[in-house]
Amino acid sequence: MKILVINCGSSSIKYQLFDMTDESVLATGLVEKIGTESAMIKHEVPGAEEKVLISEILDHRVGMKKVLDLLMDKEEGVIQSADEVAAVGHRVVHGGEFFSSSVVIDSQVRQAIRQTIDLAPLHNPPNLLGIDAAQAQLPHATHVAVFDTAFHQTMPDYAYMYALPRILYQKYKVRRYGFHGTSHKYVSQRAAEFLGKPLADLKIISCHIGNGASITAVQGGKSVDTSMGMTPLEGLMMGTRSGDIDPAIVPFVIAKEELTIGEVSSMMNKHSGLLGVSGISSDMREVTEAMFDGNSQAKLAIDMYIYKIKKVIGSYVAAMDGLDVLLFTAGVGENASLIRERVCEGLSFFGIEIDKEENAIRKKEERRISTPASKVEVLVIPTNEELMIARETKELV
Amino acid sequence: MANIQHIAVIGGGTMGQGIAELLASKGIETTVIERNDELAKDAYHHIEMSLDKKLAKWGITPAEKKMTLSRIHATADTEALKQVDFVIESVVEDLDAKLELFALCDRLCRPEVILASNTSTLSLTEIAAATERPDKVIGLHFVHPVPKTPLVEVVRGLKTSQETVQTVVDLLAQMEMTGIEVYESPGFVTTRLICLLINEAVYTLMEGVASAYDIDRAMKAYQFQYGPLEMVDRFGLDSVLAALERLYREFGDTKYRPAPLLKKMVRAGHLGVKTGEGFFQYSEDGERIMKEGQA
Repeated sequence: MKILVINCGSSSIKYQLFDMTDESVLATGLVEKIGTESAMIKHEVPGAEEKVLISEILDHRVGMKKVLDLLMDKEEGVIQSADEVAAVGHRVVHGGEFFSSSVVIDSQVRQAIRQTIDLAPLHNPPNLLGIDAAQAQLPHATHVAVFDTAFHQTMPDYAYMYALPRILYQKYKVRRYGFHGTSHKYVSQRAAEFLGKPLADLKIISCHIGNGASITAVQGGKSVDTSMGMTPLEGLMMGTRSGDIDPAIVPFVIAKEELTIGEVSSMMNKHSGLLGVSGISSDMREVTEAMFDGNSQAKLAIDMYIYKIKKVIGSYVAAMDGLDVLLFTAGVGENASLIRERVCEGLSFFGIEIDKEENAIRKKEERRISTPASKVEVLVIPTNEELMIARETKELV
Repeated sequence: MANIQHIAVIGGGTMGQGIAELLASKGIETTVIERNDELAKDAYHHIEMSLDKKLAKWGITPAEKKMTLSRIHATADTEALKQVDFVIESVVEDLDAKLELFALCDRLCRPEVILASNTSTLSLTEIAAATERPDKVIGLHFVHPVPKTPLVEVVRGLKTSQETVQTVVDLLAQMEMTGIEVYESPGFVTTRLICLLINEAVYTLMEGVASAYDIDRAMKAYQFQYGPLEMVDRFGLDSVLAALERLYREFGDTKYRPAPLLKKMVRAGHLGVKTGEGFFQYSEDGERIMKEGQA
C-alpha cells in the first residue's frame, strides 16, 4: 500500500511517499513560494540526485498537481498512476478538543478543523488548503487528518486547565493543548520497543528539543502533561521563543515601550529565547560555539536553556511519581551531546547516570546513553513524524 | 477571485509609503510610482526607515524586513503600469491631478485592472468619468498610519460594479484589513469625524481653555493612542487644514470652518512631525520631545 504524507504551510507543501509494505520512502520533497511565478520544487528519490524545478505555482492545487506529475513522471517517476496512492495522511496542527486520535476526513471533520482556526490562525488554514488540493488531485484516496494536539487529549483536567476565570474556557476553549504530539507518541513507542518492555508499564519523559521544543510526561503510553500550552509559546526556552515568563511582564512591557499586541507577540515569539538572550543566534550550534569562544551572554543563554529543561523534567517526575525512561529527540535533542550531558548531570538525585563517551558519539540511530547502573534508562531516539503519520493513516484505510 | 500579485501605488508621500509597506509586508509585489527618480528613491528610503523602527520595536524580524523590502520597487517610469494587476492612487488631493492620472492609468493598464483612489473628499464618480472603465474605479481610503491601522473605507462611485467591490473586499480580507463600505460623501466617516475633533481641539487651545499638553492628556482618556493635537501633528497640519476647507466648502456648514490658529500655524510653516514642530516638538525620527515634568 502506498501512502502520501503531506504537511502544508501557507506557501509550501512538504511531502513524502511511503510504500507501507516495508515502510520504505519512495520519494520526498518540498514545494516552496507557492503563490508566485518563481515557486520552487525540490524532489528527491532515494538513490537519485535531487531535482530542483522552478515554475509558476499560484495555489496549493497547482502545487499538488505538480507533485503528482513528478511522482508519475514517465522516466523518473515512482508510481504509474495516481490510483496507486491508497491514502493521504495530512498533518494538521490543531485539532482542538474535537480530536483525540487521527480520523478519516469527511465534511464534519473539515468543519471541525475550520472551527479550530481561532486557536491556530497561522497553521490550520494552510492545512485545510492542503486537504482541498490533495482531495482534488486524489479523489479516490482515503484522506486522513493526523493532529499535533491529539496525543495530548488524554491529559487530566487539572493538568490542562489554567487558573483563569472559567468563562474563558467556556467561551474560547482557553486551555492547554500541547503540540509535537505525533513525535512524542512515535518516540515513546520506539523507546518501549527498543527496551523490549510493554509501553503500558513505563513512565517516560520525552524531550522533543528542536527549534521549537516541548517535553511530555508519558505514563502507560498516554500523555499526562506537556510543556507547551494553548499555543506553542509556553514552556521551554526555545530558539526564538521565550517560553514561560511571568505573565505580568506582558502588560508592563506594553505600557513602558508603547507596544501593540502584534509587536509584543512578535517579541516573545521571534526575538526571544536563545536569540534574545545571547544576541547571537537562534541556532544552538552557533550559540554553543560563541560560548566556547568566551561569550558570556551565550553562556548565560545556554545555562538558562538547560536549567529550564531540568526544571520541567523534575516536575514531570513528580507528576508521574517516578521515571523509567528519559528520552531525547529532534534537532538539538538528537545532536547536541553537551545539552544532554548537562541536563542529566543535574538529575543525579533521580538515579540518572549517563555514559559520557557513549553520549558524545554522533550517530543517527536509536541508542542508550545511560550507564548500566543508572536507575533511569536514558535514550536518544530520532523522531520520524512523517512515518508516524503514514502509520496512523494506514490503520484507518 | 482575481489573482492580484502586483500592485502599483502612485504617489510616494506619507500615505503612499504606508500603503506600499503594508502591501509588501503581506506578500504583494509593490511598485511605487513617483514624479521623478529622486522622489522615488526618497519614498523607498522612508519605507526602509519605517521598517527599521518596527524592527527596533520587535514587530518584525530582520528576515521579514528583507522580504518586505525585496517586494518594493520605486520608479518614476509610468510604463510600469502596464505590468500591474491593480492600481492604488495616492497623490495630492487635487481633482485635476487625479483626473489626468486616471486617464493615464486607463491608457496604460490592462482593461481588467481595477483603479482605486485613496481620495478622502473628492468625488469618485467624477474621477471615474476620466476613464473608459468607470465600473472598475473605486475608492480605497486608508487611515494614517497605514501599517498600524487595519481599516479601509471602501467607496463606491455611481458606476462601480459589484464585481469590483467584491474583488476589493477579497483583497482586503487577504491582507487582514477591515473594509467599511461607505457611500460617496465628503470626508466619508473617518476624515469627517476626526477633522471635526481636531478642529475643536485647536479652538479649545486658542481660547485658552487648557494647554496643548493637557488637552491631549484629557482626550487620551477616551482610548485614543494620541491626543487630537499630536494626531494633527502626525497627519500634517497642512493636510488637515486642506481637508477642513474642502468639508467647509462642500457642506457649506460653519461647523467645518478651520480654526484661525490652525491656518496661522500652517502659514508659519509649523506643519507637525514632518517639520519638527507643530503643537508639540519632534525629533528627526518622529519621536515627540517631552519637556521636563511631562511623560
